[in-house]
Amino acid sequence: MTTQPAIAVEGVARSFGDVHAVRDVTFEARAGAVTALIGPNGSGKTTLLLMLATLLEPDRGSIRIEGHDPISDPRAVRRVMGWMPDVLGSWATLTVRQTLETTARLYEIEAAQARVRASELIDLVGLEALADQPTRVLSRGQKQRLSLARALAHRPSVLLLDEPASGLDPAARIDLRVLVRRLASEGAAILVSSHVLAELDEMADEAVYIDAGVTASRASVEASRATVRDWRIRALDPAALTAALAELGIPSSGADHLGVLVPVAGEPEAAALLARLTAHGVGISAFGPAVGDLEHTFLDLAKGGRS
Amino acid sequence: MNRWIIGLGTIASLELRQRVRSVAWIVLLSVVFVVVGVVTLLLWLALTQFGAGSLDNAAIYSSIIFFVLLVGTLVTPAVSGGAINAERDAGTLATTQVTLVSAGQIVLGKFLAAWTIALTFLAASLPFIVLAVVLGGVPFLTMLTSLGVLVLELGVVAAVGVGLSGLQTRALFSVVTTYLVVAALSIGTLIAFGLGGLVNQTEVRNVYIGLDYSGEIDPETGIPEEIRCLEPEVTTYQSPRFDRVWWLLAANPYIVLADASPTTFDSNGNPEDLFGGIGLGIRQAQIAPDAETVYDECESARNGFQDPYDYPTPEEIYASTVPSWFVGLLIHAGLAALALWGAVARTRTPSRRLPKGARVA
Repeated sequence: MTTQPAIAVEGVARSFGDVHAVRDVTFEARAGAVTALIGPNGSGKTTLLLMLATLLEPDRGSIRIEGHDPISDPRAVRRVMGWMPDVLGSWATLTVRQTLETTARLYEIEAAQARVRASELIDLVGLEALADQPTRVLSRGQKQRLSLARALAHRPSVLLLDEPASGLDPAARIDLRVLVRRLASEGAAILVSSHVLAELDEMADEAVYIDAGVTASRASVEASRATVRDWRIRALDPAALTAALAELGIPSSGADHLGVLVPVAGEPEAAALLARLTAHGVGISAFGPAVGDLEHTFLDLAKGGRS
Repeated sequence: MNRWIIGLGTIASLELRQRVRSVAWIVLLSVVFVVVGVVTLLLWLALTQFGAGSLDNAAIYSSIIFFVLLVGTLVTPAVSGGAINAERDAGTLATTQVTLVSAGQIVLGKFLAAWTIALTFLAASLPFIVLAVVLGGVPFLTMLTSLGVLVLELGVVAAVGVGLSGLQTRALFSVVTTYLVVAALSIGTLIAFGLGGLVNQTEVRNVYIGLDYSGEIDPETGIPEEIRCLEPEVTTYQSPRFDRVWWLLAANPYIVLADASPTTFDSNGNPEDLFGGIGLGIRQAQIAPDAETVYDECESARNGFQDPYDYPTPEEIYASTVPSWFVGLLIHAGLAALALWGAVARTRTPSRRLPKGARVA
């Protein structure tokens, strides 16, 4: 086990003229874990990923990918890093197989091995049926999978995924999640940016919040997690639930088609509430946060930033 | 080093596979074949009207080669002009840049591919070039040099096209700029040469010592019986200094092509083909005008107008001047290298600055 984080970013800033895309980003991502990079549109996620992917030089700060500096030694970084951009480009006239073979060749993999690797990647992302079709016929979701396969061509130990799930149908999203989790369990460090927070919730071990080019500090993230939020409770008999809540003196903050919403501060309080309701004889069929962990923290941080 | 070459080859073959499969390429190739064929036929019909002779055949050959250069320089910008910025737009440049190939390999690989494609257009016109050589009895060496220069010139245009596509953000602009460079070299150099020579005029003194024809004139020779000289008449006029700007013309690809072909001379020392004639023109431009010329008619008359003819023959001018094709090719090679170097510098990552309004990805 190495103690050095797979991705270490410290005080990184980058501006384009007057636009300060990234102001002050500091975080670490470790091997074997999926780290979510969360932030609203224009918060600097893509710029940050471009700097991590050795394409853009930061104005300030330091970046280390597996201990290598992308500015002084981009080659060493590229050898271990796979990048899936948010722009879906592909060589239009090449087939899926040729695209992956060429990519492997560009990573200095020998021709015979590149062919084998291309077949493996096609299986991995489920493009077998389209393997010998030119990439221009692929749908958006299929291109997305090709793009992921391309990023994996040289078995990178650090994977940067920029909005990997956009354009994917639900089944493909599940496949993506399973694949990402598998790669992480095999020891890769994976940084995923997305605005589909529910999805990151299921995929990510850790999260980095970024807003207006600044990462939220660990303390403010902890604080946000502990704030009061709505939990959704669904009972077999809604009337019994309402009665029980009234009897226990717990205010409801509303109800939607899925259940009753109750403000709860933190998980211990939620567990206690559930115990009390069950003790009251209410048949609970669903009990959980109304919004995901990431979304709650994200929204709370955004609120804090604006007030 | 070996690794570097393999990466270069991968980029070049990737580029070729993308371009060569395009319908546009096949259409252009067919158009070039047909157009060069038609032009060859028309030239043949037109020039044989003046009677058959080796000069006519050489003229047909020279004209076809010029036409192939024209077509080549018109087609090459279209196939090379968007090599880098179009990929940047499509989002496929960045995914190549994050692999282990360097900016130098990317730019040079694309250049090699663009050059190869340009050469396919030369290959499409090759049947007609060979036909002109066989029918016209053109020396083998002449064909070899003109083909060699054509290959190099297409390489220069391909390099400029790829280089500018790396330096400019928009594919359309870089294609247009490449056309402008071709136009500047082909036509601009002619205009610059003409204007440059005229702007750079120097004063030339001409002294004329006349003969007094007022006395008795020998009816047999037409020379006065008693030779009396008149006062020297001095006239001054401005003479353009083409010798100061000849290198401008040397940068013209057509002149390079003409001057590079080995020229044969007839017994009077005059060039025997069209290329030689054009080459002679550019060689003559290198010679500075005499600051003072003297025409002493009086002295001539004393010799019975039997002055030895001492103007240099074209062959002597050829021998005494710099081969301008060499200078021209050097200028072109410099231009090509500069364009490619600029593109490499702009394609290198991690990049410090971004072109305005462009995304890196």
